[in-house]
Amino acid sequence: MRTTALVLAAAAAALALPVVLDGRQLGIYVLAGLAAMVTVGLALLMGFAGQISLGQASFYAIGAYTAGLLTVNGVPPLLGLAAAPVLAAGFAAVVGIGLLRLRGHYLAFATLAMQLILLSVLAQSEWAGGAIGLQGIPRLSVGGIELDEDVHYAYLVLAGLTGTLLVARNLVASRVGRGLRALATSEVAAGASGVPVGRYRLGVFALSAAFAGLAGGIYAFYLGYLGPGSFPVLLSVEYVVMAVVGGLGTVSGGVVGAVAIVLLVQVLNDIGTRPGMPSYAPSVLSYAVYGLLLVIAVLYLPRGLVPALSRRDRS
Amino acid sequence: MANELAGYVITGLGTGCGFALVGSGLVAIYRVTRVVNFAQGTFAVIGAMCASSLLSVLPHGIAEPLAVLAVALVGLLVGFVAIGRPGTTPQAALIVTLGLAIFAYAVVVLVWGDQPRSFAGVPGAVTVLDGRVQSHYLLVIGVTVPVFAGMALFFGHTDLGRALTACASNPYAARVIGIDVRRMGLLAFAIGGALGALAGVLLTPVQQITFDSDVTLIVNGFAAAVLGGLTRPAVTLAGGLLLGVTQALVAGYGNAAHQTEIALGLMLAVMIGRAARRPAALEEPT
Amino acid sequence: MIRTSGPLVEVAELTVRYGAATALDRVSLTVGVGELVALVGPNGAGKSTLVDTLSGILVPASGSVTVRGRLAHVPEGRQVFGDLSVEDNLRLGGWRIGERDTAAVYAVLPALTELRRRRAGLLSGGEQQMVAVGRALMSRPDVLVIDELSLGLAPLVVADLVRHLRELNAWRGVAVLLIEQNARLALDLCSRAYVLEAGRIVAEGTSAELAASSLVSDAYLGGVVVDGE
Repeated sequence: MRTTALVLAAAAAALALPVVLDGRQLGIYVLAGLAAMVTVGLALLMGFAGQISLGQASFYAIGAYTAGLLTVNGVPPLLGLAAAPVLAAGFAAVVGIGLLRLRGHYLAFATLAMQLILLSVLAQSEWAGGAIGLQGIPRLSVGGIELDEDVHYAYLVLAGLTGTLLVARNLVASRVGRGLRALATSEVAAGASGVPVGRYRLGVFALSAAFAGLAGGIYAFYLGYLGPGSFPVLLSVEYVVMAVVGGLGTVSGGVVGAVAIVLLVQVLNDIGTRPGMPSYAPSVLSYAVYGLLLVIAVLYLPRGLVPALSRRDRS
Repeated sequence: MANELAGYVITGLGTGCGFALVGSGLVAIYRVTRVVNFAQGTFAVIGAMCASSLLSVLPHGIAEPLAVLAVALVGLLVGFVAIGRPGTTPQAALIVTLGLAIFAYAVVVLVWGDQPRSFAGVPGAVTVLDGRVQSHYLLVIGVTVPVFAGMALFFGHTDLGRALTACASNPYAARVIGIDVRRMGLLAFAIGGALGALAGVLLTPVQQITFDSDVTLIVNGFAAAVLGGLTRPAVTLAGGLLLGVTQALVAGYGNAAHQTEIALGLMLAVMIGRAARRPAALEEPT
Repeated sequence: MIRTSGPLVEVAELTVRYGAATALDRVSLTVGVGELVALVGPNGAGKSTLVDTLSGILVPASGSVTVRGRLAHVPEGRQVFGDLSVEDNLRLGGWRIGERDTAAVYAVLPALTELRRRRAGLLSGGEQQMVAVGRALMSRPDVLVIDELSLGLAPLVVADLVRHLRELNAWRGVAVLLIEQNARLALDLCSRAYVLEAGRIVAEGTSAELAASSLVSDAYLGGVVVDGE
C-alpha cells in the first residue's frame, strides 16, 4: 500500500512540476529524466543480469546520433526518434555477442573500450560531423506541431521515462524476470535449471541499450547539437554511480538515484559558480561528489538507497 | 625507410614500457587481492604531477624517486579504502577504486589545475640505426628493464616476495601459516602505486599529462596485463612493448588517429579469445 | 618450547557461532605434551570450525582456547601453494618464526627431497599431503593439528603418512590432534579420542574404550566409513 501511495505521489509531482518550474529548472528536469531512463536500464543490467557496463553512454550517444543524423538528412523527426532505441539495441545485440562472453572486470574494461572506440570513430567520421559534431538538428514535430518549448520536452521525457519504467516493471514481474533473478544469484544454477542464460543476458543488454538510445534521441532534439565531447567516459561512470546509489535490482532505484544525484550536482554547481569561486570549482565539486558517493554507496549501502529506505516492501 | 622504422620501434618500446609499468602495477595488486585497481592510471597521473612540483625545488634524480615514494603511500591509502573493510568482495573493491579514481580528479584539479603538465627529461636526440630518437625514450627503457628484473627477483627469491606470491596462490593456506593476507594486500597496493607513479614520471617528458590521462593509461596497462591473464609480470612487459610498438607503427605509417582503435581492438580480441577457450561458468564471477 | 605446565592445547567450554547458527556448543578438550589425540565425527559436526578457531582464523563467542607452545595446522584438502615449488612451500611454512632452513624437514620426510623443485600443484594427493605436513613442521611445532588426513587418499598412501606421524611423535615428541571422518584410522593411530556430533562432544575416552562402546562402533566402525551427509 505504502509503495502504491509513494508511486502515485511521485507521478503526480512529476506531472505537475513542468508547469511550475522556470526555464533553468525545466532544463534540470529534462536532464534528470533522461539520466533516469538510462539508469533504469543500467540498474536492470547490473542488478538482474549481474553485469557491469562502463560504456552505457555509448548507447546514449548512438541514440542521439541516430536521431540527429536521420533528421538532418531529411527523415521525419518522429521516425528518427523511433529509430534511436532500435539502432542502439541492435548495436548492443551485435557487440554483445562478443562482449558478453566476458565477466566482471573483463566486461567492465571491454565496455569502456567499446565507448572509447566509438568516440574515436565518431570524432574521425566526416558523415558524423567529426570532432565538431552535428549542428542544427531540427526540433521534434508531431503531426505538424513543433515541440519548441522546454516544457514540451519535459513532458516528452516524462512519457519516455514512464514507458521505460512500464517495460522494466513488466519484465521484472514476468517469467523472464524470475529467470534473470536466478541468473544474478548463480549463473551456473540458472543454466542448470533451464534458464537460457546467454539469450537472457544479451536481451537485457540490448534492452538497457534501447532505453539509453531513446533517451539519447530525445536529448538530440532537445539540445539541437551533438558532438563526441557530449558523451565522455565520465558520463558512463555517472550512470554507474546513479544506479549504485539508487539501488541495483530495483526498478525505481534507477529513478531515485538519477534524480537525487542530478539535483545534488545542481546544488553543488550553484555553489561552485558563485562569485569569488575559482573557475574549476564546479568540476572539482562534482568529481569529488561522484567519487565519494560511489565509494560510500558500495561500502556502506551495498544494496542502494531504495532497498535501504524501504526494508519492508521491495519494488 | 629502415631509419624511420628504427625510430618508430624505439619510440614504441618507450611508450610500451610505460604501459607495462602501469600493467604490472595492476598485476601486483590483482595477484594478491584479486582486485583490479581502477585507480592504477591515477597513480601515474599523481606521480607525474608530484614530480613536476618537486622539480621546481629539487634536482632531477631526487625529485622523481621522491614522487614515486609519495605515490606508494597514496597506493597504500587506496588499498585501505578498497580492501580495508572486512567482507568487501573484489568486485565491490573494483567499483570503490573507480570511485577513488574519480575523486582523485577533484584532488588533482584542485592542487595542479586542469591544464596539461610536463617537465624536461633527458634532453636531445640520438641516432640509432640511422634513425633519430628522443634520448629520453632510452632512459625509459633503461629504467624499466631493471625494474622488471628486480620484480622477478623480489617475487621469486625473497621471503616477502614469496609470501606475496603465496597469498596470490592460496589465501586460505597463507592465513593458516600465519601470513597476514590483508597486510600483504596493502603492501601490494603500495607496490602498485610505486609502479604506476614510475610510469607517469618516466612518460611525462615525452607525453604531456592531464588530470584525466589516467583513462588511456589504465586501458593500455590493462590491455598489456590481460595478455598474461592479469597474473604474470613478464608477459605484461611483453604485452606492453607489443602494444607500444604497434601503436607507434600505426601512427608512423598509417594514421595517428587510429592508435586507440588498434590498441583497444587488440585488447578486446585477446580477452574474448581467452574467454572463448574456457567455458563461461569457469570465468571470474561477476 | 613449553612455557607453562598443563596440557599443550586446552579448549574449555568453547562456543562458536556463525550469525544465529551455533557451530560449536560448549566444547572442551585437551591435548597433552607428546600425546596423539583424535577428534572424530561426521561431516558438518563442527570439526573444521574447531580447527579454524584453534589457529585463530575464527573468533569464539564464549569459552577459551589456550595453546601452550607452538601449534601448526595442516588444513583440510591439503591447501598447498600450487604455483610454488615444494621447497618454497616449505620455506613459507617457516614464515611465522622466520625459519628458512628446510633440511630438518627433508630429514624427517625424505620422500620430499627429490620433489623439492617440482611445482606443488602438480603433485599427487599423497605427495601434497606430505608437503602440507612438512610445511607445518617448518614452524617447529609442539602440536600438529591435522584436518582430514585421509580424505581422498588411497589406503596405502594413508598408511605411509600414518607411519611418518608415528615416527614424528616417537622421535621428536610432536603431539598430534587428528581430526578425522575415518574413525577406524583415527582410533588406530591415537591413544585418546573425542566424538563430536552437531557441535557437541558426545563421547570421549581412550581409543580402546571408544572402539568398544556401542555408540561409536555402530555409528563409525560399522565396517564402512561413514561418509557424512
